[in-house]
Amino acid sequence: MKKKGVLQKIIFRRINQLFFLLLFLFLFRKTDYPGQEIIPYAVNLFFCWNPLIALSVMFIAKTLMLIFLPAVIIVVLTIIFGRVFCGWICPLGTLLDIWQKLLPAKKSQKKISFPEIRFSLLILTIINALFGLQLVGFVDPFSILFRGLTFVIDPMLNISIVGFFNYLYSNAPEWVSLISEPVYQSLKNSILPYQQVFFISAFLSFCILFTIFALEIIDRRFWCKKICPLGALLSLISKISFLKRLPKRVCAKCNKCQENCRMSSFVNEDIHSQNNCIRCLECLQTCPDDRITFKLKLFQKSNNHTSISRRTFVSCTLMGFLLPSINKIDAQHKQSYSYLLRPPGAKEEKIFQDLCVRCGECMKVCITNALQPTFLESGWTGIFVPRLIPRLGYCEFNCNLCGQVCPSGAIQFIDLKQKHQTVIGKAFIDKNRCLPYAKQIPCIVCEEHCPVYNKAIQYTNVNVKNNDGKLIEIKQPYVIEDRCIGCGICENKCPLAGDAAIRVMVNNK
Amino acid sequence: MNRREFLKQFTLYSTGSIMMAPVFNIIPPVLAKIDQPKLIVSHDTNYVGLVKKTLKPLGGISAFVKKGDRVVVKPNIGWDRKPEQAADTHPLIVKTIVELALDAGASKVQVFDRTCNSSRMCYTNSGIKQAVDSINDRRAVCEFIDDRKFIPVKIQKGKALKEWSFYKDALAADCYINVPIAKHHRLAGLTLGLKNVMGVIGGERGRIHTNMGQYLADLCTVLKPDLTIIDATRILLQNGPQGGKLSDVKVLNTLIATTDPVAADAFAATLFGKKPEKIESTIAAYKMGLGEMDLNKMNILKV
Repeated sequence: MKKKGVLQKIIFRRINQLFFLLLFLFLFRKTDYPGQEIIPYAVNLFFCWNPLIALSVMFIAKTLMLIFLPAVIIVVLTIIFGRVFCGWICPLGTLLDIWQKLLPAKKSQKKISFPEIRFSLLILTIINALFGLQLVGFVDPFSILFRGLTFVIDPMLNISIVGFFNYLYSNAPEWVSLISEPVYQSLKNSILPYQQVFFISAFLSFCILFTIFALEIIDRRFWCKKICPLGALLSLISKISFLKRLPKRVCAKCNKCQENCRMSSFVNEDIHSQNNCIRCLECLQTCPDDRITFKLKLFQKSNNHTSISRRTFVSCTLMGFLLPSINKIDAQHKQSYSYLLRPPGAKEEKIFQDLCVRCGECMKVCITNALQPTFLESGWTGIFVPRLIPRLGYCEFNCNLCGQVCPSGAIQFIDLKQKHQTVIGKAFIDKNRCLPYAKQIPCIVCEEHCPVYNKAIQYTNVNVKNNDGKLIEIKQPYVIEDRCIGCGICENKCPLAGDAAIRVMVNNK
Repeated sequence: MNRREFLKQFTLYSTGSIMMAPVFNIIPPVLAKIDQPKLIVSHDTNYVGLVKKTLKPLGGISAFVKKGDRVVVKPNIGWDRKPEQAADTHPLIVKTIVELALDAGASKVQVFDRTCNSSRMCYTNSGIKQAVDSINDRRAVCEFIDDRKFIPVKIQKGKALKEWSFYKDALAADCYINVPIAKHHRLAGLTLGLKNVMGVIGGERGRIHTNMGQYLADLCTVLKPDLTIIDATRILLQNGPQGGKLSDVKVLNTLIATTDPVAADAFAATLFGKKPEKIESTIAAYKMGLGEMDLNKMNILKV
């Protein structure tokens, strides 16, 4: 007979998990233009309370940042209850648990010989941050999840759902539309994003996220047990956690709890380890004798096992010294790519790359889909840092959303008045392709769209012979460099196919 | 002007004329003017009253909107600018027209525009979305453009443009009311009624710029507004079509309404101190017989 309350506790945990997953998805959807100037939600909450991101950003900036104050809550929670964050809150963990339920049940609990690299990754990330190289974006679970959702999952779901309804709209008989269109409209008004977006190297982000889910086939919570550096950090903190599992050892006659533990949190075959346990409480249910309890006990020596050997520690620290130097000798840092535009309010290039945690918030929120992940244009360490590609989208004049959502201050919040004067690049005209120059055809679409109040694009009236031999007056545009803020709407709207005849380049001053 | 009204007015004028002496030499010029649709110009600082006052001589909105009609009110919401910056039609003007159409028994009133800046920002910052939503009537909607609704149309009367895609709802409307704002535009000279069609066409609109005057006239042969109301409550004198600086804006509190899209543009040009002949689209449309551009031949009524 099970003790009452055991099931309730587990159900409570699952509800909790679901709540935070839904909160994560809700904030994800709300990372968008809210119909007013300021986003009323703390959409970057999951990054602000992430202690790993907080540590690495503050280490690299070598300052205390108040935006990461919520991380203290997670640390305190961990000190009291252990790794409840992983078992009760983390949306990636929840997704993996759900995903696991969909996979076929594993027959035998085989010991996996894959090395536990999470501590190495943690040390590597922190030491590198100290010496000026930001790697947290590549290993932090939230960054990976948010990027995957932004670049791949959300646009992919949208394009398939919208595609389905569009197919019905244009091909099915009319009575079908009478049913499908209201459904489509209500979906559009509720869960679907406002517009279809497209991202560079979307497939790469997909592969990373997919790998995490694929590893689940090998073992439950494979990512959490072996790789996740955030989990590793919380493991270290949970060493002193007050909540203890009793008994510490597996009973001699039965080891059901050990067999069923999703975190494999028993070391040396039979001792329960605090730092692996995510407090899922499932062993309460599996124990046939109801012997297991979780109790708050202060100042009791815990049975700990941290799998950092001295050798790992030394080699990771050494890599922490080396990698920043290896990064520095990348030629991209000496001669930067000419079209590498950064978002408005971005800090100076080096600091910008240091602070950026590659979370993808800015690229999600960008109203014109202009912000795209950098690939190798700024060296291998610059992958996933946002860049603005005007041909895909321009920087909207009255928009400062990216600065509003950036959790690490890599993109500073600037008010609209400042934004109107923030220079992110300079436009120049390719006279060999520009219609009024090259083909004597009227155009100046760029001038029309230039949002600067006194127009950074002006024109001269020139009398030319057109292709029919007729003498016509034509307006040939030119850029006044001092006025140009590099928003790129000219490049975006240029009616030429392929590359525009007006392009925005990095402002070298 | 419909047939019934023409007959009514003709009878009234004729009766009046016959009563007067000497009778016959008055009739020809009167007849000539009657042939022309009325063009109403009015001033008022109260924009709700201004709209009503302007439409009254044309027979009110009910002369255009019949019970059960599907109405499209097409303002200019092209730019992410505030109402006082005079880049988009004034929200109160739009709202009043929509309300009048609803009062006249329209079954649906749609307000939309294919914007140049991000559509959501344009709709919000121009104040038009809030204005239409504030009517709180299910029949009145300010909706975003649905790309699926652009359908290719053969332009049979077109001189330079043979085919272009148009927005289905605009073509299918029982009554299409064009509500542009009058403002400066470097390439077109001014952007007025004819150019407002840019907001209901699909495709790469930049191409229109290569021969703007003729292309706009060609587009007008497909979609000729039943009523054009030019918003000149504030006009943008330079740095158009977006503007931004308040010093480029001139407040006129004026509205122009007529059924003749060419005449509307021609008269609006005079507000900027320009001759109608300076605007290529006006000339092109006039040459194609889409309306009158000679100010002296117009039936202008100032109220």
